[in-house]
Amino acid sequence: MMQKRLGAKASRRLGNTVIYLILVVMTVVWLFPFFGILLESFRVESPMQQGYLIPKKFGFDNYIKLFNETDFPKWFLNTGFMGVATAFLQTFFILSMSYTLSRLRFRGRKLLMNFMLILGMFPGFLTMILIYKVFHDIGLTMSRAPLGLIIVYSASSAMGYYVSKGFFDTIPKSLDEAARVDGATRWQVFYKVIMPLSKPIIIYTVLMGFMAPWGEFMLSSYLIHENSDGMSVAVGMYEWLSRTNMNTHYTMFCSAGVVVAIPVTTVFLLLQRYYVEGVTGGAVKG
Amino acid sequence: MARVKLTDVKKVYGKDTVAVSDFNLDIADKEFIVFVGPSGCGKSTTLRMIAGLEEISGGTVEIDGVVVNDLQPRDRDIAMVFQNYALYPHLTVFENMAFSLRLKKIPQKIVYEKVTQAAEILGITEYLTRKPRALSGGQRQRVAIGRAMVRDSKIFLMDEPLSNLDAKLRNQMRAEIILLRQKINTTFIYVTHDQTEAMTLGDRIVIMKDGFIQQVGTPTEVFEMPVNVFVAEFIGAPKMNIFKTDLVLENGKYYVTPFGAKIQITGKKGEMLKEKGVESRKILLGVRPEHFILSNEHDKKAIPCKISVNEMMGSELHIHGVEPDGESIVVRIPTITLEDDRRKTLTMGNTIYVTFESKVMHLFDDDTERNILL
Repeated sequence: MMQKRLGAKASRRLGNTVIYLILVVMTVVWLFPFFGILLESFRVESPMQQGYLIPKKFGFDNYIKLFNETDFPKWFLNTGFMGVATAFLQTFFILSMSYTLSRLRFRGRKLLMNFMLILGMFPGFLTMILIYKVFHDIGLTMSRAPLGLIIVYSASSAMGYYVSKGFFDTIPKSLDEAARVDGATRWQVFYKVIMPLSKPIIIYTVLMGFMAPWGEFMLSSYLIHENSDGMSVAVGMYEWLSRTNMNTHYTMFCSAGVVVAIPVTTVFLLLQRYYVEGVTGGAVKG
Repeated sequence: MARVKLTDVKKVYGKDTVAVSDFNLDIADKEFIVFVGPSGCGKSTTLRMIAGLEEISGGTVEIDGVVVNDLQPRDRDIAMVFQNYALYPHLTVFENMAFSLRLKKIPQKIVYEKVTQAAEILGITEYLTRKPRALSGGQRQRVAIGRAMVRDSKIFLMDEPLSNLDAKLRNQMRAEIILLRQKINTTFIYVTHDQTEAMTLGDRIVIMKDGFIQQVGTPTEVFEMPVNVFVAEFIGAPKMNIFKTDLVLENGKYYVTPFGAKIQITGKKGEMLKEKGVESRKILLGVRPEHFILSNEHDKKAIPCKISVNEMMGSELHIHGVEPDGESIVVRIPTITLEDDRRKTLTMGNTIYVTFESKVMHLFDDDTERNILL
């Protein structure tokens, strides 16, 4: 009996060891590129790729050059502006849409939900040519592409209602009802009762909106059309690669990558403390 | 402080799921009305229609003579306590109670006064700074009541406010609601599935089944003169015994003959039968468990009953027995008047003899199940 139990313990330990080994390997593989970019960005001795990873001399030269000698600051601001605007608009649209779908019952509600679900399955670039045509005609391409992109990013965002609708569905309906009986309008119910309870989902939506423009490439490259004034970081950096010899400023490219990661990470770190678990605790029945 | 009048109120979900029909009720100012019935009978739906949380499919709801069918809940001047309390989890107890006053932009000083006063009455002053999650079920319920109290609204609606509490707390809160009612003196509409709550709280009770009102009356009326078998069985615990038997008219006297016994209907009930000119017929006879009297085998009016289960409840015994015909019967016997010798005979397998007086019997039509005396 005793022996059997020991055997079980030993085999569990062995199993855990194997699992952790696999996880460690995966972690290394996963994190390697990030560390690589970070290390390369501080390399001073050569702007090119070297046969070794750890720089011989550390310094901020690449960063200084990035901000003084290139259009990167402009791209960075463009993207930041798009991120903030998209986050704001998209959050507003998504929350309104999902709250409506979660709480109000109206004719065609199910149909609308299914329709949006199916529509969302089509790849976005199917509409690219049309979007370009329309935006070109109303002058929202080239240097004014960021405005156009904000519209595109936010306009269809309400279709991503499922996650937040799922969240709203978990907030007891009787809270809305209590507030309505207490004298609140639908809008007051939304911002005085539902919003404070929805911090996690609001933050999720804000983050998603803010991050989108930093990584999106296809549509923006199309609308921006090689106009440096309207470029986002993704398009700008790609232009670099195609126009010049990558090897001459590889390390600077890495430093740009690191700078791009800063706002996204900062916003996440700032907001993540609001991910308080159990915000709805104690609302109804104990 | 308002009169509520419901006329032909109807609720239909979708195309043809009828939840409430032909609901007619006139609720007087400062009356305490209880809607009671089994789950799915439409009592909560009716309350929610009065509150404005549920659309009214037909008929009208009037508050103080004004038809409120199309008014939003916030314009109806009602306060409501929900079954699950529905406290705002992100607000303190104080802010929960002050919520409606803040919406009305009432000066801070008055808000403070009202909330502290209500908290005092409910005994929750020390919890005012806490969040709902740090409260027990009973305390949350008090906050929910307090939130409704500070409103000073015309009507106070309560939707099964006690059903989430444990039995002991429920009894205590029930007593507190009676006291509260004296303090805030307004029109109450209270929904419950618990007949005890209905009996103890209501000035009048509305008993519902399948969306229809079965009977409206004071607790005494519905207990003593139930209109049909449903009401008779619903009010009172354990429920009324119903036997299929005969009503016999013999030489101008009425008798019932359950299981071979022959019991004359005397007094008021006999006269009522005579007035109505009822003939001999099949009936459903109802007798409440507490209305049986222990008798003996020589009594011609006694029904033999074999004891199958004997529940000692402390102050009384609940005896579940089987009639000669195989029907079951429940008898409640107060222990205080029971002699020890007698008590020893009340064991499983023994046969006892029980009888009852004509004033406690209820006579129902064997087909429509309606009270034939009404």
